[in-house]
Amino acid sequence: MADGDEEAYVYFGTPIEREEDTSSRKRKAVAEAGTVRALAPWKQEVKDEEGRRRFHGAFTGGYSAGYYNTVGSKEGWTPQTFTSSRKNRAEVKKQSINSFLDEDDLKHIGGNAVETSMQYDTFGSTAAEFARKKAEEEQKKRPSAIPGPAPDEIVLPASSSIGKRLLMKMGWRQGSSIKDSNAEALYEIRREARKAFLAFPSGNAEPELLEKDAVGTDEFPDMSTDVSHKSGNTPVYMLDPKQDMCGLGYDPFKHAPEFRDSKKLRESKSGEKNKGKIRMGGNLLSSSSGKYAPGFGIGALEELDVEDEDIYASGFDYEQTEVELEPLKAVKESNSDTMLRLEHKKQASLLGFKPASDSEYKLERFRPPTIPPNFRPIHKFAVPLDQTLKDYNNAPPPDALPPEDANLRLLIDGSAAMVARCGKSIEDVYMEKSKTNPLFFFLRSGAEGHDYYIRKLWENKQKFVGESKQAEKLTSEKRGRILGERPLASTTFGGNVVSVKAREVINKQPTLGETSTKPISLADLPESATKAFKHDPAKQERFEQFLKEKYQGGLRASGTVISTSISTMSEDNRARERLDFEAAVEAIEKGKWNTQISAPSADTAKDLLGFGEDRFVPSTFIENPETKEEATKAVYPKREQFEWRPSPILCKRFDLIDPYMGKPAPVPRPRSKMDSLVFLPETFKSTNREEAKSPVRGSLEASKSGLKEAEAEPSGTEADVAPTSPKNVERPVDLYKAIFSDDSEDEVVDAGPTSNQVPDPVKSSEGANKTLNRLVAGDFLQSLGMELGLEVPPDNRPGPPLNANPISPPEQRESPKGDDRNNTALTEVEDTKSKDYGSTVDYSREKKRSHSRHRRRRSRTPDSDSGSDSNSDSDGGHRSRSKRRRDRRDQSRNRDNESSDEASLYRKERRKKHRSRKHHEHKRKDYGDKHTDKKRRS
Amino acid sequence: MASGSELPVNESSVLKGHEGAVLAVRFNADGNYCLSCGKDRTLQLWNPHRGIHIKTYKSHGREVRDVHVTTDNAKLVSCGGDRQVFYWDVSSGRVIRKFRGHDSEVNSVKFNEYNSVVVSAGYDRSVRAFDCRSQSSEPIQIIDTFQDSVMSVHLTKTEIIAGCVDGTVRTFDIRIGRELVDQLGHPVNCISLSNDSNCVLASCLDSTLRLLDRSAGELLQEYKGHKCKSFKMDCCLTNTDAHVASGSEDGFIYFWDLVDASIVSSFRAHNSVVTSVSYHPKDSCMLTSSVDGTIKVWRK
Repeated sequence: MADGDEEAYVYFGTPIEREEDTSSRKRKAVAEAGTVRALAPWKQEVKDEEGRRRFHGAFTGGYSAGYYNTVGSKEGWTPQTFTSSRKNRAEVKKQSINSFLDEDDLKHIGGNAVETSMQYDTFGSTAAEFARKKAEEEQKKRPSAIPGPAPDEIVLPASSSIGKRLLMKMGWRQGSSIKDSNAEALYEIRREARKAFLAFPSGNAEPELLEKDAVGTDEFPDMSTDVSHKSGNTPVYMLDPKQDMCGLGYDPFKHAPEFRDSKKLRESKSGEKNKGKIRMGGNLLSSSSGKYAPGFGIGALEELDVEDEDIYASGFDYEQTEVELEPLKAVKESNSDTMLRLEHKKQASLLGFKPASDSEYKLERFRPPTIPPNFRPIHKFAVPLDQTLKDYNNAPPPDALPPEDANLRLLIDGSAAMVARCGKSIEDVYMEKSKTNPLFFFLRSGAEGHDYYIRKLWENKQKFVGESKQAEKLTSEKRGRILGERPLASTTFGGNVVSVKAREVINKQPTLGETSTKPISLADLPESATKAFKHDPAKQERFEQFLKEKYQGGLRASGTVISTSISTMSEDNRARERLDFEAAVEAIEKGKWNTQISAPSADTAKDLLGFGEDRFVPSTFIENPETKEEATKAVYPKREQFEWRPSPILCKRFDLIDPYMGKPAPVPRPRSKMDSLVFLPETFKSTNREEAKSPVRGSLEASKSGLKEAEAEPSGTEADVAPTSPKNVERPVDLYKAIFSDDSEDEVVDAGPTSNQVPDPVKSSEGANKTLNRLVAGDFLQSLGMELGLEVPPDNRPGPPLNANPISPPEQRESPKGDDRNNTALTEVEDTKSKDYGSTVDYSREKKRSHSRHRRRRSRTPDSDSGSDSNSDSDGGHRSRSKRRRDRRDQSRNRDNESSDEASLYRKERRKKHRSRKHHEHKRKDYGDKHTDKKRRS
Repeated sequence: MASGSELPVNESSVLKGHEGAVLAVRFNADGNYCLSCGKDRTLQLWNPHRGIHIKTYKSHGREVRDVHVTTDNAKLVSCGGDRQVFYWDVSSGRVIRKFRGHDSEVNSVKFNEYNSVVVSAGYDRSVRAFDCRSQSSEPIQIIDTFQDSVMSVHLTKTEIIAGCVDGTVRTFDIRIGRELVDQLGHPVNCISLSNDSNCVLASCLDSTLRLLDRSAGELLQEYKGHKCKSFKMDCCLTNTDAHVASGSEDGFIYFWDLVDASIVSSFRAHNSVVTSVSYHPKDSCMLTSSVDGTIKVWRK
C-alpha cells in the first residue's frame, strides 16, 4: 500500500535532508522499509530509526535496549577516576533521574516527567498533611470553640479524593449510588416510603449504639438518614473474611456450637445498627467495615464518612473477643432477648443462602405394586423333552387297532407326531382343546382311539429318538478311533487344544503323514456348495470325484490321484483344474467357517502362547454349515473397532489433542527382510491389546470372503471366481490337512500330476531354510523372553508380515506385474459387478496399478511374491491372490515337512547357541542382526 | 408429513456449460453458489439461483470427480483422474498447490472444519490428509486400512468417515484414536451425513441406500427402488433430514421418507445417469447433475 502510494506521487525538487537522517543506518532503514513490507510477515523485522533490530530472540523477541541489551557501551565500561585537588576541586555531582536514563527512555517519557501530586493521593500521609494545612488555614479565618491550635494527632480533618470531590460538586452525596437522574427520582420515592417504614426501628437502635460505641461522641450524625442513603449504594458483597485472631481452621465454638449463635447474633446486631439492611445476618460484609478509627472524634459539622473509618483496623473487635472469652455471659445476654435469637435462627441455614419461601420440590412416593394372590415366586419349568422320551422308551404300550374313522385316525397320527416332537406341552394344549372340541376326546383315557394314540405316540417317540441318535455327528476323533489312528495331543478337544510346542508338531509330521488323509466330512455340505461348477457338467463331475477322493477319509488313494475321466486333458490343464478344485473346497469350508470363526478364537486366544498353536486347531470346530445368505443377513451391518493412530499434525490441524500423545511410537513397517522374520500373528496383538478386539481382522476377512461367495454364487459365470475368494484368514487348520492333504497335490501341480513327490531340491532347501528361520525366530523370541524373565511384548514385533518373505520395495519384486494383478483380484470380484462405472467415469481398472507399496499391513497372510508363478499364466486375471498365497504356503509347508527332522535338530542346536549368549539385548534391531547372522550361516 | 409438498420437484433452471458428463455438483457452504466438475476436465462456478455461470477453472489434466469449497469461499479443492488433489484460489482461479501422494485416481475430497486440512479418498485404497498450511505437498496422514477403492469421504469436527467398495463405512475418530468399521456387506458407493451428524447414509451398489446410526452402528432403514449398480452416484438427505434423495441410473430422482422408507416422489430428471445430487443447506432446493452434461436446479 504505502510503497504503492510512494510510487504514485511525483516529487519535485530535492527533499531537505534532516540532520539525523544522515545516519547511514537510518538511510538504510528507510530504503529497506519498502522492501520489508513486501516480505512475508514472518520475514519482516522491526527496526528502530537507527536501523537496529528491535526484537529478537526465540519468541516475541527480546526487547533490544541499550547496547546489545547490556548496560555497556561500544567503548565498554571505563571506570571513572575521582580526582580532586586543592586547585581543582571536584564538583559535587548531583544525580537526577535523567542521569540514569538514555535517550530511548527519555523519549518514552516524552518530556513529561513523572511527578507526585498531592491532589491525587487519596489516602497517603501527604494528602492528610495537605488537608491538615488547609484546615489550619481555615481555622485561622474563623473563630473556634476550642482555643488555640488543636493537636495535630487528635484532629484529623477529612480529605476527600479529587474524584469524590468532583462527584460531590455534581450533586452526589455520600452513600447514594451513581445513577441517572430518572432512576434517582424513582429511587427517591421508594426511599421515602422505606424511610417511613424504618423510622421506628432505627430510632430505637440509635441510643444503644451511642452507648456501646467506644468513641461515644455526642455529635454523632443521624444514622437513620445515613442508613437510607447507604441503602441506595450498590452494596459490594464479599465472602466472610477472617476476622478473628484464631489460627486458620480453628473453630473456637467447635464443641460449643450454641455460643456461635450468640456471637453471630451479637455481630448481626451491631452490624444492623451500623449498616442497616445491607448486611445480611452478619455473614456478608460490605465494602466498608463500619468501624471508626479509634481515638479520633468527629467534628461537629462533619458527617460520619468513609474516611472516618479505621482503614487499618484488622476487623478485630474488642467486643467480639469479649464474647469469645466469656461465652457464658454472652449466652445469658442472648437469652435475655430470645426474640432476636429466634429471628436469627430463622435466617439462612447455610452461608449465603436463605430458605425458599415455597418449595416446589415434593417427594413423590409410589406404592409398591400389588402382588397377585396366585403368584408363586418359583419358576416352574416345563417337563424336559428327554424325560418324556425316557418314559416312553421304557414301557411300550400294547398295540392298538386304529379307529375306523379315517379322519380321526389322521388326527391321532398327526397329534401323536406333534407331541412326540414337541413334548408334553403340546399335549397339554390338546387336552385343553379336548374339553370343548369333541374331536380331541381321544386324549382322555378310556375314550375311543386313546389306546391307538398312546401306541402311536410311543412309536413316534421311538422314531424320533432313533433319528436324534443318528443325527449325532461323527467327530474327527471318533472317526479317527474307528480308523485306528493314533490320537494327537494337539487335537484333543478342550482347553488344552493348543499347548503343543511347535517342534513337537514338526516331529510328528512325518509319522502322521503316512497314516491317513484328513478325516473331514463334507457330507453335510449344502448342495449349492458342492455344485460349484454347475455350468460345466463335465467339470462338475470331476469336481465331485475329486471331493470323494479327497474326503472319503481313511487311507489315501496313492499314486493315481486323478481318475481316468480326465485323462484326455493336458497336464497343464489338469493341474490348473486341480488348483481350482482345491480352492473351491477351501472356499466351501470357509463358508462354514464364517459362522464359526468368532467362537473358537475367543476361547483359544487366551491359550495362545507359542507361535504355531493358532494354526493347528482341531477340525471338530467345523460344524453346522449354514448357508451364506443367512450368514450375511445376520452379520450385516457389523461394527468393529480398531486402534488407529492419527498423526500429531492431523490432530493439531483438527484442533484436537493427540490421543496418543506421549505414548510410544507405532511399530514401524519392517524395513529389512530380517524384521519380518520375527513372526507374530495378528491375533496376538489384538488380544493383548484389547480382549474385545480379538476377532478383529480375521472375522472381517472371513465375512468378506463369505460375502464374495454370496455375491458370486447366483450367476454361473462367476462360479470360477467365487471359490477363489481371498484367503486372508489365518484360520485354524486341521492338522492333517495343514500338513499333508494339500501338499502332495500341490507337488503334483509343481512337478506334474503323475510324477513322484520330488520337489526341486534348490527350492526345497531354500524353503526349508526360510521356514526354519521363521520357526527359530519365533521360538527364539519366546525363549529369550523366558530367559530374561520378560514377557515379550507383542507390540514390539512387527505384526503383519507373517511370511518368511518380507515386504520389500517394489523394484526388488520378481514379477510385479503378475503379482499386482493378483493383488487387485480382490477388487475385481466387485469389479465384475460394478463394471467400470460406465462410460461416464473412466474407472477402468488398470491392471498394472502398483499396489506394492500399499500392501495391506493387516492381512493375516501377506503375499509371498517369491514363489513360482507357473500357475498364474493363463487365468491370472481371475485368480485371486488367496489362492496363490495358499499355494505358496502349501509349498513351503511341504518343504517344511520334508526338512522337519533336520529342522528340529537344527533348531535345538540354535537355541543352545542362543542361550549361551548372555548379552542379549531386547531390541528388535538386534534381533534382526542376529537373524541376519543366523540366516547367513544357515 | 409425507406428502412431499415441500420437496424440490420443479425444475427451476438448467445450467449448461460442461462438455460431456458432469460428475459432481456441490453447493457451497451457504448455498448461494455451486461448483460442478466433469469429464471435460474443468471446474465451473455457478450461481444456481440466477442460473449464471461465473467462472471456469482449468488445470486438471483428466476428469474431475469431486470438488469442495471452504466455508469462507476462498479456496477450492478438487480431485480426479490425475492422481493429485488440486488446491485452488477461488478468485484468481490459480492452483495454489497440488497435493501428491495418491497412487491412483482420487474419488472424493473434503476440507475440514477449519479449512486447514484436505482429506481425499482414492482408488488406491487409501484416505490421505494434506495440510493446507504447510508448503509440503506430501500427506500428513495416510489411512490404508481399506480393502478396496474408497469412494467417498466426509469429515466432522473430530472424525473422518469414509465409504469403501469393500462394503465398509469406516469412521476414524481422531479424538480417541479409534477406527470404527461398519460392514454393510455391499460395496459402498457414496456416503452422506445427516445434518445432525448422527446418521450416515450409505449408497450401496446393490441399489439400496442404507441409513446407519453412527453411535451404535445399527442399520436404521433401507431405501430401495432406484437403480445404482455401476456408477458413482451421490445420495443426500434433505435440509430438514425428513427425506432421503438419490439419483438413479435411469435418470430418475427418488425421494424417500426418512422414517418409513416409502418413496415419496420420483420423477425423471435427466436423460441419462444422475451422477450427483446436492441439497441446499437451508432451503428446499436441490441440484442434480447428469452424464448428459446438464446441471438442473430444482425447487418446490
